[in-house]
Amino acid sequence: MAVHPNRAGIRRHRLHVLVRAIAAIIGGYVVTALAVACLARLLPMRAAEASIAATLASFAIYASIIVTVFPARSMLRVWISLGLALLLLGAGLYLSILTGGRL
Amino acid sequence: MKESFRQSMAWLHTWTGLMFGWLLFAMFVTGTAAYFQQEISRWMRPELVATADPASATQAAIGYLQARQPDAENWFITPPSARSPVTEVFWQPKKVEGQPPTPRKRGGTSATLDGSGHPVTVRETRGGFFLYRFHFDLHYMPVIWARYLVGAAAMFMLVAIVSGIITHKKIFADFFMLRFGKGQRSWLDAHNVTAVFALPFYLMITYTGLVTLATQYMPWGVMANYASADTFFDELFHGRADVPRSGVVAPLVPISPLMATASRSWGNAAIGFVQVANPDDSTATITITRAADTAIGARGESMVFAGPSGKLLDRHAPEGGALATQSVMVGLHAGRYAGWGLRWLYFLSGISGTIMVGSGLVLWTVKRRSRLPDPAHPHFGFRLVERLNVAAITGLPAGLAGYFLANRLLPTAMLDRSEWEINSLFMIWGGVLLWACVRHNGAHGSKACRLRPPCSRPCQL
Repeated sequence: MAVHPNRAGIRRHRLHVLVRAIAAIIGGYVVTALAVACLARLLPMRAAEASIAATLASFAIYASIIVTVFPARSMLRVWISLGLALLLLGAGLYLSILTGGRL
Repeated sequence: MKESFRQSMAWLHTWTGLMFGWLLFAMFVTGTAAYFQQEISRWMRPELVATADPASATQAAIGYLQARQPDAENWFITPPSARSPVTEVFWQPKKVEGQPPTPRKRGGTSATLDGSGHPVTVRETRGGFFLYRFHFDLHYMPVIWARYLVGAAAMFMLVAIVSGIITHKKIFADFFMLRFGKGQRSWLDAHNVTAVFALPFYLMITYTGLVTLATQYMPWGVMANYASADTFFDELFHGRADVPRSGVVAPLVPISPLMATASRSWGNAAIGFVQVANPDDSTATITITRAADTAIGARGESMVFAGPSGKLLDRHAPEGGALATQSVMVGLHAGRYAGWGLRWLYFLSGISGTIMVGSGLVLWTVKRRSRLPDPAHPHFGFRLVERLNVAAITGLPAGLAGYFLANRLLPTAMLDRSEWEINSLFMIWGGVLLWACVRHNGAHGSKACRLRPPCSRPCQL
Protein backbone atom coordinates (compact mmCIF):
# COMPACT_ATOMS: atom_id res chain seq x y z
CA MET A 1 0.00 0.00 0.00
CA ALA A 2 1.17 3.46 -0.79
CA VAL A 3 2.21 5.57 2.18
CA HIS A 4 -0.25 8.36 2.85
CA PRO A 5 1.27 11.50 4.25
CA ASN A 6 -1.65 12.76 6.27
CA ARG A 7 -4.17 11.41 8.74
CA ALA A 8 -7.17 11.94 6.46
CA GLY A 9 -5.39 9.87 3.84
CA ILE A 10 -4.73 7.08 6.33
CA ARG A 11 -8.35 7.10 7.39
CA ARG A 12 -9.51 6.96 3.77
CA HIS A 13 -7.11 4.12 3.12
CA ARG A 14 -8.42 2.16 6.11
CA LEU A 15 -11.98 2.68 4.96
CA HIS A 16 -11.06 1.36 1.50
CA VAL A 17 -9.54 -1.74 3.04
CA LEU A 18 -12.55 -2.30 5.30
CA VAL A 19 -14.99 -2.02 2.38
CA ARG A 20 -12.93 -4.41 0.32
CA ALA A 21 -12.63 -6.88 3.18
CA ILE A 22 -16.41 -6.84 3.65
CA ALA A 23 -16.99 -7.34 -0.07
CA ALA A 24 -14.46 -10.17 -0.26
CA ILE A 25 -15.16 -12.02 3.00
CA ILE A 26 -18.90 -11.56 3.51
CA GLY A 27 -19.99 -10.92 -0.08
CA GLY A 28 -17.69 -13.72 -1.24
CA TYR A 29 -19.14 -16.14 1.29
CA VAL A 30 -22.74 -15.38 0.36
CA VAL A 31 -22.04 -15.80 -3.36
CA THR A 32 -20.13 -19.03 -2.65
CA ALA A 33 -22.99 -20.36 -0.51
CA LEU A 34 -25.51 -19.68 -3.27
CA ALA A 35 -23.23 -21.15 -5.93
CA VAL A 36 -22.76 -24.31 -3.85
CA ALA A 37 -26.51 -24.62 -3.28
CA CYS A 38 -27.19 -24.17 -7.03
CA LEU A 39 -24.52 -26.70 -7.99
CA ALA A 40 -25.88 -29.18 -5.44
CA ARG A 41 -29.29 -28.99 -7.08
CA LEU A 42 -28.23 -28.84 -10.71
CA LEU A 43 -25.30 -31.28 -10.99
CA PRO A 44 -26.53 -34.40 -12.78
CA MET A 45 -25.79 -36.88 -9.98
CA ARG A 46 -27.50 -38.46 -7.00
CA ALA A 47 -28.50 -35.88 -4.39
CA ALA A 48 -25.85 -36.96 -1.88
CA GLU A 49 -23.17 -36.99 -4.57
CA ALA A 50 -24.12 -33.58 -5.94
CA SER A 51 -24.21 -32.07 -2.45
CA ILE A 52 -20.73 -33.34 -1.64
CA ALA A 53 -19.28 -32.46 -5.05
CA ALA A 54 -20.54 -28.89 -4.67
CA THR A 55 -19.24 -28.68 -1.10
CA LEU A 56 -15.79 -29.91 -2.15
CA ALA A 57 -15.57 -27.17 -4.78
CA SER A 58 -16.77 -24.45 -2.40
CA PHE A 59 -13.39 -23.42 -0.95
CA ALA A 60 -11.87 -23.03 -4.41
CA ILE A 61 -14.79 -20.82 -5.43
CA TYR A 62 -14.50 -18.75 -2.25
CA ALA A 63 -10.71 -18.32 -2.54
CA SER A 64 -11.01 -17.26 -6.20
CA ILE A 65 -13.59 -14.62 -5.32
CA ILE A 66 -11.37 -13.25 -2.55
CA VAL A 67 -8.23 -12.96 -4.69
CA THR A 68 -10.28 -11.33 -7.45
CA VAL A 69 -12.06 -8.77 -5.26
CA PHE A 70 -8.98 -7.47 -3.42
CA PRO A 71 -6.95 -6.29 -6.41
CA ALA A 72 -9.99 -5.18 -8.45
CA ARG A 73 -9.59 -1.71 -10.02
CA SER A 74 -13.02 -0.34 -9.24
CA MET A 75 -15.09 -1.09 -6.18
CA LEU A 76 -18.22 -0.19 -8.14
CA ARG A 77 -17.54 -3.03 -10.58
CA VAL A 78 -16.99 -5.39 -7.65
CA TRP A 79 -20.35 -4.55 -6.10
CA ILE A 80 -22.12 -4.82 -9.45
CA SER A 81 -20.54 -8.20 -10.18
CA LEU A 82 -21.33 -9.54 -6.71
CA GLY A 83 -24.89 -8.22 -6.98
CA LEU A 84 -25.38 -9.78 -10.41
CA ALA A 85 -23.99 -13.12 -9.19
CA LEU A 86 -26.33 -13.00 -6.20
CA LEU A 87 -29.30 -12.24 -8.41
CA LEU A 88 -28.54 -14.93 -10.98
CA LEU A 89 -27.69 -17.66 -8.47
CA GLY A 90 -30.59 -16.71 -6.22
CA ALA A 91 -33.01 -16.83 -9.14
CA GLY A 92 -31.58 -20.17 -10.28
CA LEU A 93 -31.94 -21.64 -6.81
CA TYR A 94 -35.44 -20.24 -6.41
CA LEU A 95 -36.57 -21.66 -9.76
CA SER A 96 -35.01 -25.01 -9.00
CA ILE A 97 -36.77 -25.23 -5.64
CA LEU A 98 -40.03 -23.97 -7.20
CA THR A 99 -40.00 -26.64 -9.88
CA GLY A 100 -39.46 -29.29 -7.24
CA GLY A 101 -37.20 -32.23 -7.81
CA ARG A 102 -34.85 -32.95 -4.96
CA LEU A 103 -35.44 -32.16 -1.29
CA MET B 1 -6.21 0.86 -4.69
CA LYS B 2 -4.29 2.00 -7.72
CA GLU B 3 -1.43 -0.43 -7.19
CA SER B 4 -0.62 -3.17 -9.58
CA PHE B 5 -2.16 -6.60 -9.24
CA ARG B 6 0.96 -8.13 -7.76
CA GLN B 7 1.37 -5.41 -5.17
CA SER B 8 -2.15 -5.79 -3.91
CA MET B 9 -1.61 -9.57 -3.77
CA ALA B 10 1.51 -8.95 -1.69
CA TRP B 11 -0.56 -6.76 0.61
CA LEU B 12 -3.25 -9.44 0.87
CA HIS B 13 -0.58 -12.07 1.56
CA THR B 14 1.03 -9.99 4.33
CA TRP B 15 -2.17 -9.20 6.19
CA THR B 16 -4.05 -12.48 5.81
CA GLY B 17 -0.85 -14.17 6.97
CA LEU B 18 -0.52 -11.96 10.03
CA MET B 19 -4.22 -12.10 10.91
CA PHE B 20 -4.17 -15.81 11.72
CA GLY B 21 -0.42 -16.49 11.74
CA TRP B 22 -0.18 -17.34 15.44
CA LEU B 23 -3.11 -19.73 15.36
CA LEU B 24 -1.79 -21.31 12.15
CA PHE B 25 1.61 -21.75 13.79
CA ALA B 26 -0.01 -23.64 16.69
CA MET B 27 -2.07 -25.71 14.24
CA PHE B 28 1.06 -26.60 12.25
CA VAL B 29 2.99 -27.60 15.38
CA THR B 30 0.28 -29.79 16.89
CA GLY B 31 -0.86 -31.16 13.53
CA THR B 32 2.70 -32.14 12.67
CA ALA B 33 3.13 -33.83 16.04
CA ALA B 34 -0.19 -35.63 15.52
CA TYR B 35 1.30 -37.61 12.62
CA PHE B 36 3.04 -39.52 15.41
CA GLN B 37 0.18 -39.45 17.88
CA GLN B 38 0.19 -43.21 18.42
CA GLU B 39 3.91 -43.19 19.09
CA ILE B 40 3.59 -40.20 21.44
CA SER B 41 0.76 -41.95 23.29
CA ARG B 42 2.95 -45.03 23.56
CA TRP B 43 5.84 -42.99 25.00
CA MET B 44 3.51 -41.27 27.44
CA ARG B 45 2.28 -44.63 28.76
CA PRO B 46 5.55 -46.44 29.42
CA GLU B 47 3.70 -49.10 31.45
CA LEU B 48 2.51 -50.72 28.23
CA VAL B 49 4.71 -53.47 26.91
CA ALA B 50 3.49 -56.56 25.11
CA THR B 51 1.63 -56.69 21.83
CA ALA B 52 -1.25 -59.12 21.46
CA ASP B 53 -2.96 -60.93 18.61
CA PRO B 54 -5.80 -58.64 17.40
CA ALA B 55 -8.45 -61.37 17.07
CA SER B 56 -7.93 -62.98 20.48
CA ALA B 57 -7.54 -59.56 22.12
CA THR B 58 -10.89 -58.49 20.63
CA GLN B 59 -12.52 -61.69 21.90
CA ALA B 60 -11.08 -61.02 25.35
CA ALA B 61 -12.34 -57.42 25.21
CA ILE B 62 -15.84 -58.72 24.41
CA GLY B 63 -15.59 -60.93 27.50
CA TYR B 64 -14.65 -57.89 29.59
CA LEU B 65 -17.61 -55.90 28.24
CA GLN B 66 -20.05 -58.81 28.65
CA ALA B 67 -19.15 -59.02 32.33
CA ARG B 68 -19.51 -55.29 32.97
CA GLN B 69 -21.77 -53.74 30.34
CA PRO B 70 -24.16 -56.46 29.12
CA ASP B 71 -27.04 -54.00 28.56
CA ALA B 72 -25.09 -51.20 26.86
CA GLU B 73 -26.40 -49.68 23.64
CA ASN B 74 -23.10 -50.06 21.83
CA TRP B 75 -19.62 -51.39 22.44
CA PHE B 76 -16.72 -49.95 20.47
CA ILE B 77 -13.47 -51.90 20.31
CA THR B 78 -10.18 -50.83 18.74
CA PRO B 79 -7.96 -53.95 18.54
CA PRO B 80 -4.19 -53.69 19.05
CA SER B 81 -2.19 -52.81 15.96
CA ALA B 82 1.39 -52.42 14.85
CA ARG B 83 1.39 -48.88 16.28
CA SER B 84 -0.56 -49.49 19.49
CA PRO B 85 -0.10 -52.48 21.80
CA VAL B 86 -3.42 -52.33 23.67
CA THR B 87 -7.13 -52.80 23.06
CA GLU B 88 -9.12 -49.62 23.58
CA VAL B 89 -12.81 -50.05 24.40
CA PHE B 90 -15.58 -47.60 25.08
CA TRP B 91 -19.31 -48.03 25.39
CA GLN B 92 -22.62 -46.19 25.25
CA PRO B 93 -24.48 -47.14 28.42
CA LYS B 94 -28.15 -48.05 28.37
CA LYS B 95 -30.42 -45.02 28.02
CA VAL B 96 -32.63 -44.47 31.06
CA GLU B 97 -36.22 -43.46 30.24
CA GLY B 98 -36.94 -39.77 30.69
CA GLN B 99 -33.33 -38.96 31.51
CA PRO B 100 -31.16 -37.13 29.03
CA PRO B 101 -27.77 -38.78 28.59
CA THR B 102 -25.62 -36.86 31.05
CA PRO B 103 -22.05 -36.10 30.09
CA ARG B 104 -19.91 -38.41 32.14
CA LYS B 105 -16.43 -37.98 33.41
CA ARG B 106 -13.95 -39.30 30.89
CA GLY B 107 -12.84 -42.77 31.86
CA GLY B 108 -16.30 -43.75 33.11
CA THR B 109 -17.24 -45.26 29.77
CA SER B 110 -13.91 -46.47 28.44
CA ALA B 111 -11.06 -48.77 29.33
CA THR B 112 -7.64 -49.82 28.11
CA LEU B 113 -7.22 -53.61 28.04
CA ASP B 114 -4.35 -56.00 27.52
CA GLY B 115 -4.42 -59.05 25.24
CA SER B 116 -6.32 -61.14 27.79
CA GLY B 117 -9.01 -58.57 28.51
CA HIS B 118 -7.65 -57.24 31.80
CA PRO B 119 -7.59 -53.49 32.34
CA VAL B 120 -4.02 -52.24 32.27
CA THR B 121 -3.02 -49.76 34.91
CA VAL B 122 -1.43 -46.87 33.13
CA ARG B 123 -0.87 -43.30 34.21
CA GLU B 124 -3.82 -41.12 33.31
CA THR B 125 -2.86 -39.18 30.18
CA ARG B 126 -4.41 -38.06 26.95
CA GLY B 127 -1.12 -38.61 25.20
CA GLY B 128 -0.72 -37.80 21.52
CA PHE B 129 -4.50 -37.79 21.16
CA PHE B 130 -4.62 -34.41 22.91
CA LEU B 131 -2.24 -32.88 20.34
CA TYR B 132 -4.40 -34.31 17.56
CA ARG B 133 -7.56 -32.83 19.04
CA PHE B 134 -5.94 -29.48 19.83
CA HIS B 135 -5.09 -29.19 16.14
CA PHE B 136 -8.78 -28.54 15.37
CA ASP B 137 -10.64 -28.39 18.72
CA LEU B 138 -8.16 -26.14 20.59
CA HIS B 139 -8.67 -26.17 24.38
CA TYR B 140 -10.48 -24.27 27.16
CA MET B 141 -13.25 -23.30 24.72
CA PRO B 142 -16.39 -24.81 23.17
CA VAL B 143 -15.46 -27.20 20.37
CA ILE B 144 -17.91 -25.70 17.90
CA TRP B 145 -16.36 -22.21 18.20
CA ALA B 146 -12.87 -23.63 18.04
CA ARG B 147 -13.71 -25.33 14.78
CA TYR B 148 -15.07 -22.15 13.22
CA LEU B 149 -11.93 -20.32 14.32
CA VAL B 150 -9.69 -23.01 12.92
CA GLY B 151 -11.71 -23.03 9.70
CA ALA B 152 -11.34 -19.27 9.31
CA ALA B 153 -7.60 -19.63 9.85
CA ALA B 154 -7.43 -22.37 7.21
CA MET B 155 -9.37 -20.21 4.75
CA PHE B 156 -6.98 -17.30 5.39
CA MET B 157 -4.10 -19.74 4.85
CA LEU B 158 -5.58 -20.83 1.52
CA VAL B 159 -5.84 -17.19 0.44
CA ALA B 160 -2.30 -16.51 1.73
CA ILE B 161 -0.98 -19.46 -0.31
CA VAL B 162 -2.74 -18.44 -3.51
CA SER B 163 -1.74 -14.79 -3.16
CA GLY B 164 1.78 -15.91 -2.15
CA ILE B 165 2.12 -17.92 -5.35
CA ILE B 166 0.99 -14.92 -7.40
CA THR B 167 3.40 -12.61 -5.54
CA HIS B 168 6.50 -14.73 -6.14
CA LYS B 169 7.16 -14.87 -9.82
CA LYS B 170 10.52 -16.58 -9.40
CA ILE B 171 9.36 -19.68 -7.59
CA PHE B 172 12.03 -21.93 -9.09
CA ALA B 173 14.89 -19.51 -8.41
CA ASP B 174 13.68 -18.99 -4.84
CA PHE B 175 14.12 -22.65 -4.20
CA PHE B 176 17.91 -22.35 -4.40
CA MET B 177 18.24 -19.05 -2.59
CA LEU B 178 19.09 -19.02 1.10
CA ARG B 179 21.49 -16.31 2.21
CA PHE B 180 22.46 -16.20 5.87
CA GLY B 181 23.39 -13.23 8.03
CA LYS B 182 21.66 -10.70 5.83
CA GLY B 183 18.86 -9.63 8.15
CA GLN B 184 15.57 -9.17 6.37
CA ARG B 185 16.87 -10.80 3.17
CA SER B 186 17.64 -13.98 5.15
CA TRP B 187 14.22 -14.07 6.73
CA LEU B 188 12.63 -13.60 3.32
CA ASP B 189 14.84 -16.35 1.87
CA ALA B 190 13.89 -18.69 4.71
CA HIS B 191 10.24 -17.90 4.17
CA ASN B 192 10.50 -18.51 0.42
CA VAL B 193 12.60 -21.67 0.64
CA THR B 194 10.30 -23.35 3.17
CA ALA B 195 7.25 -22.13 1.26
CA VAL B 196 8.45 -23.47 -2.06
CA PHE B 197 9.95 -26.64 -0.56
CA ALA B 198 6.59 -28.18 0.20
CA LEU B 199 4.19 -25.97 -1.73
CA PRO B 200 2.02 -28.82 -3.08
CA PHE B 201 1.82 -30.18 0.47
CA TYR B 202 0.58 -26.85 1.86
CA LEU B 203 -2.07 -26.52 -0.80
CA MET B 204 -3.15 -30.11 -0.24
CA ILE B 205 -3.13 -29.95 3.55
CA THR B 206 -5.00 -26.62 3.71
CA TYR B 207 -7.68 -27.62 1.23
CA THR B 208 -8.20 -31.10 2.63
CA GLY B 209 -8.21 -29.63 6.13
CA LEU B 210 -11.14 -27.43 5.13
CA VAL B 211 -12.78 -30.48 3.57
CA THR B 212 -12.62 -32.47 6.84
CA LEU B 213 -15.12 -30.03 8.37
CA ALA B 214 -16.70 -28.85 5.11
CA THR B 215 -20.29 -29.68 6.04
CA GLN B 216 -19.93 -27.39 9.06
CA TYR B 217 -18.32 -24.51 7.15
CA MET B 218 -20.36 -24.86 3.95
CA PRO B 219 -23.60 -26.62 4.86
CA TRP B 220 -25.41 -25.10 1.86
CA GLY B 221 -24.73 -27.94 -0.55
CA VAL B 222 -26.40 -30.37 1.81
CA MET B 223 -29.13 -27.91 2.82
CA ALA B 224 -30.11 -27.42 -0.84
CA ASN B 225 -31.03 -31.07 -1.22
CA TYR B 226 -32.03 -32.24 2.25
CA ALA B 227 -34.47 -31.05 4.87
CA SER B 228 -31.75 -31.34 7.54
CA ALA B 229 -28.19 -32.51 7.94
CA ASP B 230 -29.47 -35.59 9.81
CA THR B 231 -31.47 -36.82 6.81
CA PHE B 232 -28.33 -36.48 4.73
CA PHE B 233 -26.16 -38.49 7.11
CA ASP B 234 -28.90 -41.11 7.48
CA GLU B 235 -28.87 -41.61 3.73
CA LEU B 236 -25.10 -41.71 3.70
CA PHE B 237 -24.79 -44.29 6.44
CA HIS B 238 -27.97 -46.14 5.59
CA GLY B 239 -29.02 -49.08 7.71
CA ARG B 240 -27.14 -47.85 10.76
CA ALA B 241 -30.19 -46.41 12.48
CA ASP B 242 -30.74 -47.60 16.04
CA VAL B 243 -32.84 -50.75 16.34
CA PRO B 244 -34.59 -51.23 19.69
CA ARG B 245 -33.63 -54.29 21.71
CA SER B 246 -36.03 -57.24 21.43
CA GLY B 247 -35.34 -58.36 24.98
CA VAL B 248 -34.60 -61.90 23.80
CA VAL B 249 -31.18 -62.94 25.02
CA ALA B 250 -28.93 -64.40 22.34
CA PRO B 251 -25.20 -64.91 22.82
CA LEU B 252 -22.75 -63.48 20.28
CA VAL B 253 -20.88 -65.76 17.89
CA PRO B 254 -17.08 -65.88 18.31
CA ILE B 255 -15.55 -62.78 16.74
CA SER B 256 -12.39 -64.28 15.32
CA PRO B 257 -13.94 -66.00 12.23
CA LEU B 258 -15.87 -62.84 11.38
CA MET B 259 -12.69 -60.75 11.56
CA ALA B 260 -10.93 -63.32 9.38
CA THR B 261 -13.75 -63.21 6.80
CA ALA B 262 -13.71 -59.41 6.69
CA SER B 263 -9.94 -59.27 6.50
CA ARG B 264 -9.85 -61.81 3.65
CA SER B 265 -12.41 -59.89 1.63
CA TRP B 266 -10.22 -56.78 1.88
CA GLY B 267 -7.07 -58.51 0.67
CA ASN B 268 -5.88 -59.49 4.17
CA ALA B 269 -6.12 -55.93 5.49
CA ALA B 270 -5.99 -55.43 9.24
CA ILE B 271 -9.16 -54.72 11.24
CA GLY B 272 -9.39 -51.16 12.52
CA PHE B 273 -12.56 -51.12 14.54
CA VAL B 274 -15.31 -53.39 15.85
CA GLN B 275 -18.72 -52.12 16.93
CA VAL B 276 -21.31 -54.27 18.64
CA ALA B 277 -24.83 -52.82 18.75
CA ASN B 278 -27.40 -54.24 21.22
CA PRO B 279 -24.90 -56.78 22.55
CA ASP B 280 -26.22 -60.19 23.66
CA ASP B 281 -29.67 -59.42 22.26
CA SER B 282 -31.30 -61.22 19.32
CA THR B 283 -31.09 -57.91 17.41
CA ALA B 284 -27.33 -57.59 17.96
CA THR B 285 -25.17 -56.56 15.01
CA ILE B 286 -21.40 -56.62 14.69
CA THR B 287 -19.85 -54.02 12.39
CA ILE B 288 -16.24 -54.61 11.39
CA THR B 289 -14.34 -51.72 9.79
CA ARG B 290 -11.12 -51.99 7.82
CA ALA B 291 -7.98 -50.48 9.35
CA ALA B 292 -7.14 -46.97 8.18
CA ASP B 293 -3.56 -47.81 7.25
CA THR B 294 -4.54 -50.04 4.35
CA ALA B 295 -6.24 -47.50 2.07
CA ILE B 296 -6.05 -43.74 1.58
CA GLY B 297 -9.79 -43.13 1.94
CA ALA B 298 -10.78 -42.09 5.45
CA ARG B 299 -14.27 -43.51 5.33
CA GLY B 300 -13.25 -47.12 5.80
CA GLU B 301 -15.09 -50.02 4.26
CA SER B 302 -17.10 -52.04 6.72
CA MET B 303 -19.10 -55.27 6.95
CA VAL B 304 -22.13 -55.83 9.14
CA PHE B 305 -22.84 -59.27 10.64
CA ALA B 306 -25.78 -60.54 12.66
CA GLY B 307 -24.65 -60.97 16.28
CA PRO B 308 -26.29 -64.30 17.16
CA SER B 309 -25.72 -66.08 13.79
CA GLY B 310 -22.69 -64.39 12.26
CA LYS B 311 -24.54 -64.04 8.96
CA LEU B 312 -23.29 -61.23 6.68
CA LEU B 313 -26.07 -58.60 6.59
CA ASP B 314 -24.57 -55.70 4.71
CA ARG B 315 -21.34 -54.18 3.48
CA HIS B 316 -20.58 -50.52 3.15
CA ALA B 317 -18.07 -48.90 0.88
CA PRO B 318 -17.87 -45.28 -0.22
CA GLU B 319 -20.28 -45.00 -3.14
CA GLY B 320 -19.96 -42.57 -5.99
CA GLY B 321 -17.16 -40.37 -7.23
CA ALA B 322 -17.76 -37.31 -5.07
CA LEU B 323 -18.10 -39.26 -1.82
CA ALA B 324 -15.02 -41.31 -2.65
CA THR B 325 -13.12 -38.10 -3.46
CA GLN B 326 -14.12 -36.60 -0.13
CA SER B 327 -13.07 -39.75 1.67
CA VAL B 328 -9.65 -39.69 -0.03
CA MET B 329 -9.19 -35.96 0.68
CA VAL B 330 -9.86 -36.47 4.38
CA GLY B 331 -7.58 -39.51 4.32
CA LEU B 332 -4.79 -37.51 2.67
CA HIS B 333 -5.05 -34.91 5.41
CA ALA B 334 -4.94 -37.32 8.33
CA GLY B 335 -2.25 -39.49 6.73
CA ARG B 336 -3.38 -42.59 8.62
CA TYR B 337 -2.61 -44.71 5.57
CA ALA B 338 1.03 -43.62 5.49
CA GLY B 339 3.83 -46.08 6.16
CA TRP B 340 7.03 -45.04 7.91
CA GLY B 341 8.72 -43.36 4.93
CA LEU B 342 5.69 -41.36 3.94
CA ARG B 343 4.88 -40.59 7.57
CA TRP B 344 8.30 -38.97 8.01
CA LEU B 345 7.76 -37.03 4.79
CA TYR B 346 4.45 -35.76 6.20
CA PHE B 347 6.27 -34.83 9.39
CA LEU B 348 9.08 -32.99 7.59
CA SER B 349 6.60 -31.12 5.39
CA GLY B 350 4.73 -30.15 8.56
CA ILE B 351 7.96 -28.87 10.15
CA SER B 352 8.70 -26.93 7.00
CA GLY B 353 5.21 -25.41 7.15
CA THR B 354 5.81 -24.46 10.78
CA ILE B 355 9.03 -22.66 9.78
CA MET B 356 7.26 -21.03 6.85
CA VAL B 357 4.54 -19.56 9.09
CA GLY B 358 7.05 -18.63 11.80
CA SER B 359 9.48 -16.90 9.43
CA GLY B 360 6.58 -15.12 7.77
CA LEU B 361 5.51 -13.72 11.15
CA VAL B 362 9.06 -12.62 11.98
CA LEU B 363 9.39 -11.07 8.54
CA TRP B 364 6.46 -8.80 9.28
CA THR B 365 8.32 -7.10 12.13
CA VAL B 366 11.80 -7.27 10.62
CA LYS B 367 10.61 -5.49 7.50
CA ARG B 368 8.79 -2.77 9.39
CA ARG B 369 11.46 -2.06 11.98
CA SER B 370 13.64 -0.07 9.59
CA ARG B 371 10.70 2.07 8.53
CA LEU B 372 9.63 3.02 12.03
CA PRO B 373 9.70 6.76 12.66
CA ASP B 374 11.44 6.10 15.98
CA PRO B 375 12.90 2.56 16.13
CA ALA B 376 13.68 2.87 19.84
CA HIS B 377 10.01 3.43 20.65
CA PRO B 378 7.88 1.48 18.19
CA HIS B 379 4.14 2.04 18.15
CA PHE B 380 1.74 -0.23 20.02
CA GLY B 381 0.74 -2.47 17.07
CA PHE B 382 4.36 -3.20 16.27
CA ARG B 383 5.24 -4.06 19.87
CA LEU B 384 2.15 -6.27 20.10
CA VAL B 385 3.05 -8.27 17.01
CA GLU B 386 6.65 -8.56 18.14
CA ARG B 387 5.71 -9.95 21.55
CA LEU B 388 3.03 -12.27 20.29
CA ASN B 389 5.57 -13.59 17.78
CA VAL B 390 8.04 -14.45 20.52
CA ALA B 391 5.29 -15.98 22.65
CA ALA B 392 3.80 -18.04 19.81
CA ILE B 393 7.02 -19.26 18.23
CA THR B 394 9.01 -20.10 21.35
CA GLY B 395 6.11 -20.57 23.78
CA LEU B 396 4.35 -23.52 22.20
CA PRO B 397 7.46 -25.69 21.68
CA ALA B 398 8.44 -24.92 25.29
CA GLY B 399 4.91 -25.82 26.38
CA LEU B 400 5.11 -29.09 24.47
CA ALA B 401 8.34 -29.96 26.24
CA GLY B 402 6.54 -29.13 29.49
CA TYR B 403 3.65 -31.42 28.52
CA PHE B 404 6.04 -34.33 28.02
CA LEU B 405 7.94 -33.55 31.22
CA ALA B 406 4.71 -33.31 33.21
CA ASN B 407 3.84 -36.77 31.93
CA ARG B 408 6.91 -38.10 33.77
CA LEU B 409 6.95 -35.76 36.77
CA LEU B 410 3.34 -35.53 37.99
CA PRO B 411 2.43 -38.16 40.61
CA THR B 412 0.64 -41.09 38.95
CA ALA B 413 -2.20 -41.05 41.49
CA MET B 414 -2.87 -37.33 41.07
CA LEU B 415 -6.50 -36.27 40.72
CA ASP B 416 -7.34 -35.10 37.15
CA ARG B 417 -3.80 -35.94 36.20
CA SER B 418 -4.31 -35.83 32.44
CA GLU B 419 -5.93 -32.41 32.75
CA TRP B 420 -2.91 -31.15 34.71
CA GLU B 421 -0.52 -32.40 32.05
CA ILE B 422 -2.43 -30.20 29.62
CA ASN B 423 -2.53 -27.29 32.09
CA SER B 424 1.26 -27.52 32.38
CA LEU B 425 1.54 -26.97 28.64
CA PHE B 426 -0.53 -23.80 28.79
CA MET B 427 1.08 -22.54 32.01
CA ILE B 428 4.50 -22.67 30.37
CA TRP B 429 3.13 -21.12 27.18
CA GLY B 430 1.55 -18.30 29.21
CA GLY B 431 4.79 -17.92 31.17
CA VAL B 432 6.72 -17.39 27.94
CA LEU B 433 4.17 -14.77 26.86
CA LEU B 434 4.63 -12.91 30.16
CA TRP B 435 8.39 -13.17 29.84
CA ALA B 436 8.23 -11.82 26.29
CA CYS B 437 6.22 -8.82 27.48
CA VAL B 438 8.42 -8.04 30.44
CA ARG B 439 11.86 -8.76 29.10
CA HIS B 440 11.56 -7.35 25.63
CA ASN B 441 12.14 -3.74 26.66
CA GLY B 442 15.60 -4.48 27.92
CA ALA B 443 16.70 -6.72 25.09
CA HIS B 444 15.19 -4.52 22.48
CA GLY B 445 18.19 -2.40 21.53
CA SER B 446 20.62 -5.17 20.73
CA LYS B 447 17.99 -7.23 18.95
CA ALA B 448 16.97 -4.31 16.79
CA CYS B 449 20.57 -3.86 15.70
CA ARG B 450 20.96 -7.50 14.89
CA LEU B 451 17.82 -7.75 12.83
CA ARG B 452 17.87 -4.39 11.12
CA PRO B 453 18.02 -5.15 7.41
CA PRO B 454 21.09 -4.04 5.53
CA CYS B 455 18.79 -3.48 2.60
CA SER B 456 20.87 -2.80 -0.45
CA ARG B 457 17.94 -2.75 -2.79
CA PRO B 458 14.25 -2.00 -2.47
CA CYS B 459 12.47 -4.88 -0.80
CA GLN B 460 9.45 -6.21 -2.53
CA LEU B 461 7.24 -7.59 0.14
